[in-house]
Amino acid sequence: MTSGDPAQPPRRVDRAGIIIAALLAALAAVLVFDARGLQSTAMYGMGPEAMPVVIAIGLALLAIGNFVDALRGNLPARESSDPVPVVLILIGLALLIAIIGFGGGFILATSALFVTTSAAFGRRAVLVDSIIALVMSTLIYLAFDRLLTLSLPAGPLERLL
Amino acid sequence: MDTFAALAHGMAVAIQPMNLLYALIGVFLGTAVGVLPGIGPALTVALLLPVTYKLDPGGSLIMFAGIYYGGMYGGSTTAILINTPGESASMATALEGNKMAKAGRGGPALATSAIGSFVAGTIATIGLAFLAPWLVDFAVRFGPEDYFALMCVAFVTVSATFGDSPIRGLTSLFIGLTLGLVGIDKLTGQARLAFGVPELLDGVEVTTLAVGLFALGEALYVASRRHHSEEKLEPVRGSLWMTKEDWKRSWKPWLRGTMFGFPIGALPAGGAEIPTFLSYSTEKRLTKYPEEFGKGAIEGVAGPEAANNASAAGTLVPLLTLGLPTSATAAMMLAGFQQYGLNPGPLLFAERPDLVWGLIASLFIANVMLLVLNLPLVGLWVKLLAIPQPWLYAGILVFATMGTIAAKPSVVELSMLAGFGVLGFLMRRFDFPIAPVVVGLILGPIAESQLRRALAISLGDPMTLLQSPISATLLGIALVALLAPFVLKGMGRFKANED
Amino acid sequence: MYRFPARLVGAAVALTLAAATPSLAQQMELKLMAPAAPGGGWDQTARSMQQALVASGVARSVQVTNVPGAGGSVGIAQFVNGAKGDGNQMMVNGFVMVGALAMNKSPVTLEQVTPIARLTEEIQVIVVPANSPIKTAQDLATAVKADIAKVTFAGGSAGGVDHVMAALFAGAVGADAKKINYIPFSGGGESLAAILGGKVTAGISGLSEYEGQIKSGKLRAIGVTSEKRIPGSDIPTFKEQGIDLVIANWRSVVAPPGITPEQRKTLSDAVEKMVKSDAWKEILKQKGWEDAYLGGDAFADFLKKETVRVTDVLKSVGLVKS
Repeated sequence: MTSGDPAQPPRRVDRAGIIIAALLAALAAVLVFDARGLQSTAMYGMGPEAMPVVIAIGLALLAIGNFVDALRGNLPARESSDPVPVVLILIGLALLIAIIGFGGGFILATSALFVTTSAAFGRRAVLVDSIIALVMSTLIYLAFDRLLTLSLPAGPLERLL
Repeated sequence: MDTFAALAHGMAVAIQPMNLLYALIGVFLGTAVGVLPGIGPALTVALLLPVTYKLDPGGSLIMFAGIYYGGMYGGSTTAILINTPGESASMATALEGNKMAKAGRGGPALATSAIGSFVAGTIATIGLAFLAPWLVDFAVRFGPEDYFALMCVAFVTVSATFGDSPIRGLTSLFIGLTLGLVGIDKLTGQARLAFGVPELLDGVEVTTLAVGLFALGEALYVASRRHHSEEKLEPVRGSLWMTKEDWKRSWKPWLRGTMFGFPIGALPAGGAEIPTFLSYSTEKRLTKYPEEFGKGAIEGVAGPEAANNASAAGTLVPLLTLGLPTSATAAMMLAGFQQYGLNPGPLLFAERPDLVWGLIASLFIANVMLLVLNLPLVGLWVKLLAIPQPWLYAGILVFATMGTIAAKPSVVELSMLAGFGVLGFLMRRFDFPIAPVVVGLILGPIAESQLRRALAISLGDPMTLLQSPISATLLGIALVALLAPFVLKGMGRFKANED
Repeated sequence: MYRFPARLVGAAVALTLAAATPSLAQQMELKLMAPAAPGGGWDQTARSMQQALVASGVARSVQVTNVPGAGGSVGIAQFVNGAKGDGNQMMVNGFVMVGALAMNKSPVTLEQVTPIARLTEEIQVIVVPANSPIKTAQDLATAVKADIAKVTFAGGSAGGVDHVMAALFAGAVGADAKKINYIPFSGGGESLAAILGGKVTAGISGLSEYEGQIKSGKLRAIGVTSEKRIPGSDIPTFKEQGIDLVIANWRSVVAPPGITPEQRKTLSDAVEKMVKSDAWKEILKQKGWEDAYLGGDAFADFLKKETVRVTDVLKSVGLVKS
């Protein structure tokens, strides 16, 4: 991510814009590649491969459009961005997914996300936040389990309830 | 007229104390559950079916109707307050509603949405009572080619959500269209863009995408900019309630939203999303305050919210008159009818008028109850925004992931949610509009499958699109809507409003 | 629900019961997977089983889990890998899964699971709009033979029971099943609208879905797929009209691979007891499901035959690569 400063002079090549254009072109290529693997089994009318190709053409054109915009430096100015909180929240999401994936249960997973997000927004009282998170997610779990009979992912903590 | 007598009789059924109680339980549960993203009214009705079979048929159906209307209300509350649409139909509400909430106008936003829903729900229920037989004849005549033409109209009008640059708007739309391709092709059963991952075969869930882009993306973006200035949310700025000005700006969008929502909701494949987009675009075109759109224009909340609720009443038209379930919730209500050995359809009106009219009457009552339940809550909801920022956003993220965890607790689904969150963050950072992505995901697959159905029926002859009068008319409207801006621009407005 | 205490109480009850009666089933704690989202047919079957198993005293507690995705492909993969050898787990499945597994090239197949029993089935029907010139199944057969492309069938998802049935119909009347013009719709409502609006020639669905329309005269049923006429119904079967087309949309329950013969017997007995209970009969009546109980090896045989039949049909229409 290039963090250009707000007073960036116009008419300068925007690297991020070029990357975006490249990604769009790559996406178009993936679509065409995927569509080639489809058999046209539909006996009548249009097959399943037609739409991906149409969308791929659109994406390719947009890649060119974005590329031109980037070369001309036509992109809107961006303010600087602080990666630390973003990374913290992403760690929280990764923890959530990992805990659920490995059977740690809803309460632990959700609490992890709560605490990291709260830290990302500047709180440092991890212990207090953990307690809040645990209580809250336990209540949510109970509400789903008892009132809606929907079983959220269960782990060691849930089995104690 | 017969209908009046029948309706009066139905009212007598509906205001029996027990039935009032069922309606109250229904709207309460519906609102509570509608608030949760990913858990819609259909799921609630499904889970409550076994509980209710001990009740009498009238009572439990009244309760289901309450859940249905309540769910429609609940979805918009979270959309406005925390930018987390509870279901896809409240996505359009989030666009302006959340901006209003951030500007301290959450109160009026919630109020216009509640009152708009009430107005739309009431008008649409009247429509259900009086126009149903006529409307359903029209609805059934809609063939695949006509739906495709309707999608074309919708595609043309979504440009209203594009923001300043057509290239970036279209880029967002095409990302959405690409996501719409993922999964099993409905017509041939072949997997597209699934890359051998079984969880991808069912495609991208609209709520997963919307919650990821809107709620997660927003949280990441706000976090990344925290060092600039502590974004202070002021829960209430100005009046908590709607001002005279707000009323003046709201009532027309309410009515127009109803006009979109009710008929399209009555179409068997119409749905609630399309009318909300159409309403949003219309309001943006017609407003006297175009500069407010994108920054929290009340018309952009009032219209889609009305459309959303009117379409809910619309879906009951084919359900009651034909036994045609056209939404997941309607399908569950059909199951509710069937568990009492009742088959909705023309015979039901003749055989059990007390039940049908009792249900329609209780829809009116549910609407009143929702208004009474929701308006006093506005003040309470808005206070939620006063929670300190770290807890507020942590809570939003927990809340946003919860729906996905409950509905589809798989690592793949959660990873998609997180991925969409990152996408939403990057799109905000590089100034791409968010809404067209979701629009593309919703409209793309419908447009594709209806076009392919039409072509299969006509054995590949594209003229079928012009031979149907409905389709030809709609395509004409789409063409006019597409060209009109260029014509207007040519008339000297060119480059007038570039900012 | 109250899982931990329940286990204690369960153990206590079991101890006392073990002395009194030899019934081991009394302490069963089952986990039942519905490989679909809450609300659908398989989920309703699972939740109904839960209700009946507990109400009839066959099991102490039953927990339903939902694993949605791709016609059950995601669920069965998790079931086969995660529940191997566990005698306290079962999974609901049905006709649609057979096709879905074949089409999605699933690495896991129904051969891997331990069949327990078929529970319910639904008879299929072909309908035409009331004003259609087609009056009987033979009329439709004639139309199909004349120009198969012009006869459009509306039904549910590609590769599902409706699609398979359209292909079987074409095959049974001597037309080329490969050439059927089958148009899949999502959800019964949408296809019903297409039929009522006269957009397609005929519609295929489960009988109960169109029953109201047939009774009210908006649709004409030209044949049902049961062996014999349904008691009290005047819709002729295809068989009596000279077309060999018998098919039903069945739902069943299976156990994980690798369980012992004793475990299999315990589960089979439990399901059989449930099927015979009043609670189950009450549920069937409420939901309008047809009892189609088929247990033990007979069901295993049936499952094998259906798998072969469905896979062949899907190959013939090009949905599965041979």
